[in-house]
Amino acid sequence: MTVFVCIDDRGGMLFNHRRQSRDRVQIADMLALVGGGRLLCDPYSATLFPQGGPIFDEGFLEKAEEGDFCFVENRPLAPHAGRISTLVVYRWNRTYPRDVLLDLPLPGDFRLTETVELAGHSHETITRERYER
Amino acid sequence: MKKRLSNALLSLLLVLSVLFSAGCLDALPDLPGFDPDINEQIPGGEETPGGGEETPGGGDDAPSGSVTLRNPGATPKPVDPAEHPAYSGEPYIAIDGNMPYFTAEEMVTTSFEYYSPLDSLGRCGYTVACIGPDIMPTEERGNIGMVKPSGWHTVKYDIVSGKYLYNRCHLIGYQLTGENVNESNLITGTRYLNIDGMVDFENMVADYIRETGNHVLYRVTPIFVGDELLARGVQMEAYSVEDQGDGICFHIYAYNVQPGITIDYATGLSALAGEPLPPAGEDSGTDIPPEEGAIDPGEVHDYVLNTNTKKFHYPDCSSAKDMSEANREDFTGTREAVINRGYEACGRCKP
Repeated sequence: MTVFVCIDDRGGMLFNHRRQSRDRVQIADMLALVGGGRLLCDPYSATLFPQGGPIFDEGFLEKAEEGDFCFVENRPLAPHAGRISTLVVYRWNRTYPRDVLLDLPLPGDFRLTETVELAGHSHETITRERYER
Repeated sequence: MKKRLSNALLSLLLVLSVLFSAGCLDALPDLPGFDPDINEQIPGGEETPGGGEETPGGGDDAPSGSVTLRNPGATPKPVDPAEHPAYSGEPYIAIDGNMPYFTAEEMVTTSFEYYSPLDSLGRCGYTVACIGPDIMPTEERGNIGMVKPSGWHTVKYDIVSGKYLYNRCHLIGYQLTGENVNESNLITGTRYLNIDGMVDFENMVADYIRETGNHVLYRVTPIFVGDELLARGVQMEAYSVEDQGDGICFHIYAYNVQPGITIDYATGLSALAGEPLPPAGEDSGTDIPPEEGAIDPGEVHDYVLNTNTKKFHYPDCSSAKDMSEANREDFTGTREAVINRGYEACGRCKP
């Protein structure tokens, strides 16, 4: 499966049970990459998709199949690392408070295959990195 | 537009400062506790925002884009440093489960900002704002070197990132309300407080507002003990109004400390840890001209460049340490030379 995550300059994802940041450009870019595929998320992420689209399910990581896409904001990834074929990391290029960090080392068992810079709506530059096994 | 209104309201603030001078605002620096009648905490963040009592010019009928001077209403409940753990390596701690003390009556969706007048010792009081996109700055920050907040000393240490121990710390960050040279919004804070303790929270709030267009209630209270001139720390509270805290909700106390430096909070004097404090009127560290408050653009420094993001950092910046080797370029030269190469200063270490 392909997993999408967003992190700050120190690998942070959440603070006080809330996402560190959000940007509509990141969401649109992710949906474009998903294309006609299946995107699964935790119900926590539903507010980012007012038009719907993804499948929201608390057990989404366990239920995702090969070829599916998962947007992960508030779950540890390490338990599922072996099933991740592609990891797409969006970097905010900012620092935020954080108490939950991305629990996979980068590049770790992956190799960086692509780096793309996006002009965000509320972020000057969002860097998208693609890691593959 | 915003600045013109702010100036017009400044005189009104001065009048209000007199009206409040015998009341809650002067009481803050002595940590008297709080009035339980006006601190009805938001229960679980589930309260529906309601309209608060506002001074003329406020209220939901106020024209969009205006700055509303609002009666700040409930007095903040300042933390007592003695009741919380001493600094132990983390720049801030959560207060009461990160739940701010805003009342349901304070939940408004009209932007305003309020800065307490200085007390008799020249110290800042609390600041509170309902921040929306309409009052966020559209221009780069100007020079603030002419302001000397209480406890101010211009002193440098080699072990401090950026060298200068003290920064003029905006209580409400410039990126939030554009309030720059306002002595009621500037305290003497360590580099560590400014960069590790406060900026990250300001970034989170600023980006949330820019992205959603929502409002965030935001209050920063400097915590002074007795007659000390240097704050022991700052209490920061924030709560996103339209989504009832779903996007932004925190309540923290950030320590005004600098690892490796001993600070006398009564005066602001400082020394390397383990060394004696200098006599009153003298500074340890490196003497520099008292009016000098910024890095000399012609001074040569070591920088780390991120060739991907086009940001530059001090070598000890955490962003530099985490940087991919593929994007890293070490550079020695002047700040001006880095900028001329098309790089922007890191928002974290502010080289």
